[in-house]
Amino acid sequence: MKSTRVVALWCPDWPAIAAAVAADVSPTGPVAVTLANRVVACSAAARAEGVKRGLRRREAQARCPQVYVAAADPDRDARLFEPVAAAVDAVAPGIEVLRPGLAILSGRGVGRFFGSEQLAAERLVDEVAATGVECQIGVADELTTAVIAARKAVLVPRGGGAEFLAPLPIGELAAEPSLAAPERAELVDLLWRLGLRTVGAFAALPPVDVASRFGADAITAHRAARGEPERPPSARALPPDLDVEQQLDPPIERVDAAAFAARALAERLHTKLAAAAVACTRLLVQASTANGEHLGRTWRCAEPLTPDGTADRVRWQLDGWLTGHAQSRPTAGITTLRLEPVEVVAAGALQLGLWGGVGADDERARRALIRVQGLLGGEAVQVGVRSGGRGPAERVTLVPLGDELVPEFDPSAPWPGRIPEPAPTTVLDTRPEVALEDPSGTPVHVTPRGVFDVDPARLRWGTRAWQLRGWAGPWPADERWWDTATGQHIARAQVLLDEPKALLLVYRAGTWSVEGVYE
Amino acid sequence: MSRLGRRRIGGRQGVIGVGSSAGEAVEFAELAGLSRQERVERLRRRMMAVPARGETRRGRLEDADGRVSVDILPVPGPFADLLPPGGLSRGAVVAHSGADSVLLGLVAAVTAGGGHAVVLGCPRLGLAAVVEMGAQLARLALVPNPGADPVEIAAILLDGMDLVVLGLGGSSVTPTRARAVVARARSKGCALVVTGGHWPGPDLRLAGRVVGYEGLGWGTGRVRGMSLDVSAQGRGFGPVLRRLELCRAQGTTEWVGADAVQAKVILEEAVSI
Repeated sequence: MKSTRVVALWCPDWPAIAAAVAADVSPTGPVAVTLANRVVACSAAARAEGVKRGLRRREAQARCPQVYVAAADPDRDARLFEPVAAAVDAVAPGIEVLRPGLAILSGRGVGRFFGSEQLAAERLVDEVAATGVECQIGVADELTTAVIAARKAVLVPRGGGAEFLAPLPIGELAAEPSLAAPERAELVDLLWRLGLRTVGAFAALPPVDVASRFGADAITAHRAARGEPERPPSARALPPDLDVEQQLDPPIERVDAAAFAARALAERLHTKLAAAAVACTRLLVQASTANGEHLGRTWRCAEPLTPDGTADRVRWQLDGWLTGHAQSRPTAGITTLRLEPVEVVAAGALQLGLWGGVGADDERARRALIRVQGLLGGEAVQVGVRSGGRGPAERVTLVPLGDELVPEFDPSAPWPGRIPEPAPTTVLDTRPEVALEDPSGTPVHVTPRGVFDVDPARLRWGTRAWQLRGWAGPWPADERWWDTATGQHIARAQVLLDEPKALLLVYRAGTWSVEGVYE
Repeated sequence: MSRLGRRRIGGRQGVIGVGSSAGEAVEFAELAGLSRQERVERLRRRMMAVPARGETRRGRLEDADGRVSVDILPVPGPFADLLPPGGLSRGAVVAHSGADSVLLGLVAAVTAGGGHAVVLGCPRLGLAAVVEMGAQLARLALVPNPGADPVEIAAILLDGMDLVVLGLGGSSVTPTRARAVVARARSKGCALVVTGGHWPGPDLRLAGRVVGYEGLGWGTGRVRGMSLDVSAQGRGFGPVLRRLELCRAQGTTEWVGADAVQAKVILEEAVSI
């Protein structure tokens, strides 16, 4: 099972804090928030004086005469929580507010971005503290566990959810109203009276017995107590049984017949997807032939597929297989066609259009390119995205059409030492080796100080040789020296041949090669 | 002064096909003020703009702000003087040879003007240079390895793209094959530029040759620009040769006609004095 991580961010006694902030009273002093004459939240200072949830207002005032009492106001709580949420969102996007005072984040990205979950938690606490609010962080595999962990300010290790919850009192399951049904308090009370005093004792009950004796909420509570996923995480687990398959009799050998089958199959797939309330972003098209050959190709899309889009892709794919080159063409007709969604998103989630707008011209161009992808394979059609780098080849990253446009390096970084414009109009990715020599034929090298040891005068490329009419450089670039895998210690130079032709040379490990030609 | 006037007409000639009588009256009034040679050139351009048999007349309408009609694909500024319609005609087949920067200029101008371009089988094209010329990468697709039959792939892409650059990789296309592709290009309104191979009977031949570089000394400076001799020859007009320069300007590069370069030099001298 794919392991997810959830980061929960909990601001203790949020209604009390918000009430104090709104009334300009110190949140560190005693504050109580009442609803229907009962205390529903109080600050730590008030709690120390004996105020607690459920007390009548008069009793709370009797126990702590200096307490500031405010009426409950959910609007105020939400309004004042917004800056906190915004502060968190600024460092870790994708915050999901469960209620004012409690928010969750997906833990994988945050943990990776900040280096570790510990560092991420520290950073989040700092960010929230900057808005003048205290908070606690909990990290766990599941939502409920993470929220309970946040109340204890604990980082629960992977797979340790059930272990962490086991010794906790059973009341913890009802402590967070935003995660439980209203009848959860009654359930917890019942379990307590039955003698189940800890979450672990409840979790030890067989699920079948819980489901048959208590209500639907008890099933949710029981899953939470065992640290099992209680609701699908927002990064959509794949619902089962979305594949559609069709036996084709007679086998398909012609493209028009394939188109007909593709349309019917696409309709069936989309009926299923709609029933599961998801949309497909990656589709695996598989076909088997009468001779037992299996063909398959995955289609990736930046935006969810429509029924027409699916039908087109299946048709193009079949077209590509049936009319392709002799070696890849199936030897018999296609007998089974199968569509399998590999990646789905929530229906309605729509990413930005790849070609910027969604005009008719863009759509036409896109369809033509996708058609070619069907014939040549997904990697064949590429789109460039501006990247950062010092050499001409690094400044544009090529990604297959339909994939997310992610540059390899940050193009907005300054890149000191970048070869200034104009860039070479021809970039040789094969980097043919050449020899740069001085008048006597001695090879020219770049010294550790970053200069030529002798002035170059001649360039030898294969069997041909040119006299130089000009040269400039070398410009050393000591890139990513901290990383042995991608780091490179190189120098670039421009030379002008007598043809006339200007070349961009690159010096690496004692040899010169041609990186680009200005022509 | 006369030069300015000619240029203005040249800029408008893409819209002649509208054929409104009032517009033509103005055209003739403008012709009256020109020298014989200019008048001949002017009329020749008009003839070029008349659609060929079978070519649709769709889209030959002037925008509200007087932009060139949508039947012409934009080209870098100085190329407009070189090509009689003032740009690349949609449906035309252009055979390119020589310097790659001419190719890059065409691609950059089309994508910057809102069109879609695809480059087939030219894996060595310098994309950083296209970006510097102002290309929109989002509207530029690349098929570095178009398989065994690049012409077939190009024929598919003609439907949907505005400019298809096809690298033939040294091969030659038979006239029968070419005729089908040309017909398709014309009906879909897409310009096809072939390079690195032989194409029978193109509408336009464009060749570029580098004649010099600017800024690179003996151990000093760096390449700041280059000048090219670009020649164009098409059906109905003889070879035209122009000296164009690719100059750097504030993080980008731009094409400048040789006259403009001269003017710039003169201006710089005036300032230095």
